[in-house]
Amino acid sequence: MPASDDRPERAGVRGGEGQRARAKERRVGPWLFRALVYGFLLVMAIYVLFPFAWMLSTALKTESEALAIPPTWIPRTPTLDSVIGIWVRKNFALYFFNSTVVSLATALLSVFFGSLAGYGFSRFRFPGRQFLMGFFLATQMLPGVLLVGPYFKMLNAVGLYDTRTGLVIAFLTICLPFATWTMKGFIDGVPVEMDEAALVDGCNRLSVFFRVILPVLGPAMVASILFAFLLAWGDLLWALCLTTSEGMITVTLGIARTVGEFRIIWPMLMAGSLLGGLPAILLYLFLQRFLVAGLTAGALKD
Amino acid sequence: MCLSVATARSTSIRTGYLFVLPALLLLLAVLGFPALWSLGLSFRAEGRDGFSLEQYRLLLEDSLFHQTFWNTGLLVGLSVAAHLGLGLAVALPLNLPLRGQATLRLVALLPWVVPDVVAGIIWKWLYNPLNGALNDVLVRLGLLTTPLDWLGAGHLPLVSVILANVWRGFPFVMLILLAGLQAIPRERYEAASIDGANALQRFRHITLPGLRKMLVVSLALDTVWEVRRFGLIQAMTQGGPGNLTEVLSTLVYKQYFAFFRFEYASAIAVVMAAVLLIVSLPYIRMISQEE
Repeated sequence: MPASDDRPERAGVRGGEGQRARAKERRVGPWLFRALVYGFLLVMAIYVLFPFAWMLSTALKTESEALAIPPTWIPRTPTLDSVIGIWVRKNFALYFFNSTVVSLATALLSVFFGSLAGYGFSRFRFPGRQFLMGFFLATQMLPGVLLVGPYFKMLNAVGLYDTRTGLVIAFLTICLPFATWTMKGFIDGVPVEMDEAALVDGCNRLSVFFRVILPVLGPAMVASILFAFLLAWGDLLWALCLTTSEGMITVTLGIARTVGEFRIIWPMLMAGSLLGGLPAILLYLFLQRFLVAGLTAGALKD
Repeated sequence: MCLSVATARSTSIRTGYLFVLPALLLLLAVLGFPALWSLGLSFRAEGRDGFSLEQYRLLLEDSLFHQTFWNTGLLVGLSVAAHLGLGLAVALPLNLPLRGQATLRLVALLPWVVPDVVAGIIWKWLYNPLNGALNDVLVRLGLLTTPLDWLGAGHLPLVSVILANVWRGFPFVMLILLAGLQAIPRERYEAASIDGANALQRFRHITLPGLRKMLVVSLALDTVWEVRRFGLIQAMTQGGPGNLTEVLSTLVYKQYFAFFRFEYASAIAVVMAAVLLIVSLPYIRMISQEE
């Protein structure tokens, strides 16, 4: 077997034809072992997917069917009433808009400042560099509840309580350190020779960064933006503490509030969950390739 | 000549600072300042100025805090242990060259991908004692004779929250460990096989040592995330019924926004932050010095 065939595949990459051919070459073991492995993975898949199937099934039921005892597994009279209802009778269109705007603004700001800092950390060796990198990492470990109280007071004092701007500022506390570390990781992967060549050509550092590094990092930067977006998208704590009026609510808060209502209409709630979960699932499909590198923020180096 | 090298170096140091500075200032403003404010608040007695350890004394005496601390410890300990076990158990077969491997990897990731609230709500509905699917499945399979009130009373609600949390969190550990497995050179396994090592020996002497770093990384990150876990519990139980599923993050939230005890809430949050920093310090040092 040629040595090049033995390289381990990368995380999360879909298996192509070459891999399948190799799969035949490498024996997985006797058929009994294979059967056991597939059996185990089947159980895993059911365990993982069952709650989602239950969500989907309920979202397509009428309210009376959702309250049937014993529950039906497949909707007898599937209907899109709830899926449409959350847009029409509830304000989910507005929540969706709020979540998108707030998450996107946070993500863009975080990645802009984060990639500048990431470039600084990646390319320069200055006194206190490790301490500052440790500081950026440590801030990610702090619990959000440490900050929500002061934020409540601060935003009230400057008139930003219950505004999207206030939420963006708050989300920076999660997304900015995260973006700094992921961007540093990605920039580490760009050969320093590229900087040096551009410097010799007379570029200054800032134009090296904007004209050379950022263009090379295109896809990685999009990935960082999407990660930061999803961090903000998934939040409940901050939206719960810093917004109150119907016009400012995010999707996650909208869902949480619906649970708190006196009478829970489960098909609607499940339709809302579907709506809140779907963008995240779709974005992660796209992000697969970057998952490990992005999530562990520098923890995993080859 | 010497001089110009020295100037070049000092310019380069200055440029480095300049790149980091905007993000640093921003972070200090949006995070450093409120964090210090919380810290200061925790050393104040209610309605009185000046330094005081009053809030921390209250913490030590508060049985609700003790209960909550214990709940959090249980939730974090059991969740993280289950995440590591299940994560490894799923990562190992997903590292084999199987048909459908890519799809299975994606499927395994799903619970971790959706927002915390969504995971919490789905499980709350699964657990519903009358109309929920879980009781129905378990009764049909003959594992239960009467339906359980999963989020009802006694120890069961906390167990139920932990079970939902296991589902929600194991894919992250799986992902990290899978990356670790893929980084172990295959030659090592082949060499060991030639030397006559069986599967168990190969696992013990090649896989586990090869995964050591990833195990540490996932242990540290998962612990931190589980201590901070808020949305899932807030959506499922809001810490209830009573305080049966109360964890530190939901308790701080309540102390702030239901009881308006800002100083006391800050003290609990500061304890949380201290625990988190201590837990993650080895990880932070390992990551930021590794170059």
